[in-house]
Amino acid sequence: MGEVYSNFMRSLLSSEFTISGEIDPPKDANRAAVEEQVKHLKDHVVAANVTDNPIGDVIMNTLAPCVIMQELGLEAIYQATCRDRNRIALQSDIIGAAALGIKNVLALTGDHTKMGNHPQAKPVFDLDSVLLTQTLRRLREGENMAGEKLEHPPKVHIGVGLSPGVEPLEPEIIKLEKKIEAGAEFVQTQCIYDEKVLERLKEATAHLDIPILPGIAPLRSVGMAKFMQANVPGISIPEEMLAKLEKSKDLTETAIDIAAELIAAVKDYGFPGVHIMPVGMDRYVGEMIARSGVRR
Amino acid sequence: MIITRQKPLEEIKETLSRYKGVALIGCGGCVAFYQTGGTKQTKEMAAKLREAGVNVVALGVSNRQCYLCEEKEVADLSDAERIRKVARELEGFSKLEEAEAVLSLACGVGVQNLANILDMPVLPAQNTLFMGRRRVEGDFDLEQCIGCGNCILAFTGGICPVTRCAKSLMNGPCGGVFNGMCEVSKSRVSEHPVPCAWIEIYNKLKKQGRVDEMRKIRPPKDFTKAAHMRKVAWGL
Repeated sequence: MGEVYSNFMRSLLSSEFTISGEIDPPKDANRAAVEEQVKHLKDHVVAANVTDNPIGDVIMNTLAPCVIMQELGLEAIYQATCRDRNRIALQSDIIGAAALGIKNVLALTGDHTKMGNHPQAKPVFDLDSVLLTQTLRRLREGENMAGEKLEHPPKVHIGVGLSPGVEPLEPEIIKLEKKIEAGAEFVQTQCIYDEKVLERLKEATAHLDIPILPGIAPLRSVGMAKFMQANVPGISIPEEMLAKLEKSKDLTETAIDIAAELIAAVKDYGFPGVHIMPVGMDRYVGEMIARSGVRR
Repeated sequence: MIITRQKPLEEIKETLSRYKGVALIGCGGCVAFYQTGGTKQTKEMAAKLREAGVNVVALGVSNRQCYLCEEKEVADLSDAERIRKVARELEGFSKLEEAEAVLSLACGVGVQNLANILDMPVLPAQNTLFMGRRRVEGDFDLEQCIGCGNCILAFTGGICPVTRCAKSLMNGPCGGVFNGMCEVSKSRVSEHPVPCAWIEIYNKLKKQGRVDEMRKIRPPKDFTKAAHMRKVAWGL
């Protein structure tokens, strides 16, 4: 590891259990909605991701919440997807983000334009997540894709995604290996609900030297659980988890409990940290972590 | 082959409405093979248009509308003579002088090629969709090549990710693969399910014992090779 620019990377390199969170930008210009989430996460996570128009819906861009949260003292992980920007815009945005103090970037492919609320839009995908990773490293090393030298390179740490529940897993792992070769320094995964998937992830990545933060997200209802199982690639939800939700008299409490159990399981499996996607339950993230016991 | 589908009759009628007489010219190439613009379909189109009140004065079929003749060969001819030169007669070719426009049942290449040698307007009867092949099993035509200008099939198991991955990814599947299917299959605007091209590539390469091809980082596409409008000299 060369120079370290961010608190998030510093934490990953230390022996402490690293917890990242996630901010969902609002669909309008409501700054307070960002501030509210930051307030709930700030004391519990080292850094938080800001999503880049997930499923292709039009919402506030990634950069604005990143800047707002850093002003409020929470470090940002800027998610950059290849869906809407060609190589010119991607490089330019990262350079701008770095000038505004962004220290971590998560390079993702991005959902297809057809999945969101503007399905007629032109999908870009000029680069893919491997090539975006490579581009970020090249920029950081002081050169853009045209080979022009940068006197003030964007000093950002580069993260990548992983979907550990997909079948077959081998192509996904091959792609991760390519991302690591391209310059990836940390991994945050798609949400995991099943310990079998954690185990599978552990085994499949045992040969790789990169910190992997399994993703977890609270299940707020049986409906949400079933929807995710049916519609989100690579998600399997164990029967006993569904039963717990079905029997629940207080869904918020149950959601916190399940999330806490998952966080604890992530630590038990020996992962260096966890990525919590609160999906609207940001005010309970502190409680999820407290109940998990990972900080004791 | 070039895959096409006929435009709705209403739309064709509308584009023809300002002309007193129309000649229909089908094509003996891809559209004949795939039965969207050959002899039979040209006759059927003439019947439908006549029923709808359009004055179809003549109908014929060119051999390959994408390859007719050189401009200079027809420089001194009238439009009627030019049509007689490039199309086989089915009906009414003696009345070609009455035609004020041509409706072509060829693909976009054919329409433009015919338009290039005629002075009168040449209008399309078809929407040109893509380069692909017919899959009889399943009853559909499948896009196979977008003509990106830099073929990578050598290391993708003969399956093109530029064409068949919804995101044209170069380096493996994205996280949107769901039971072997592409995430766009679940989109409400998708008409049919599509398999993940990269899982197909992986399976094929695995069968051929060369999954290692997937381990190499493939460079970004060079879009100078794919930007419109393309032209290529002979002998290159």
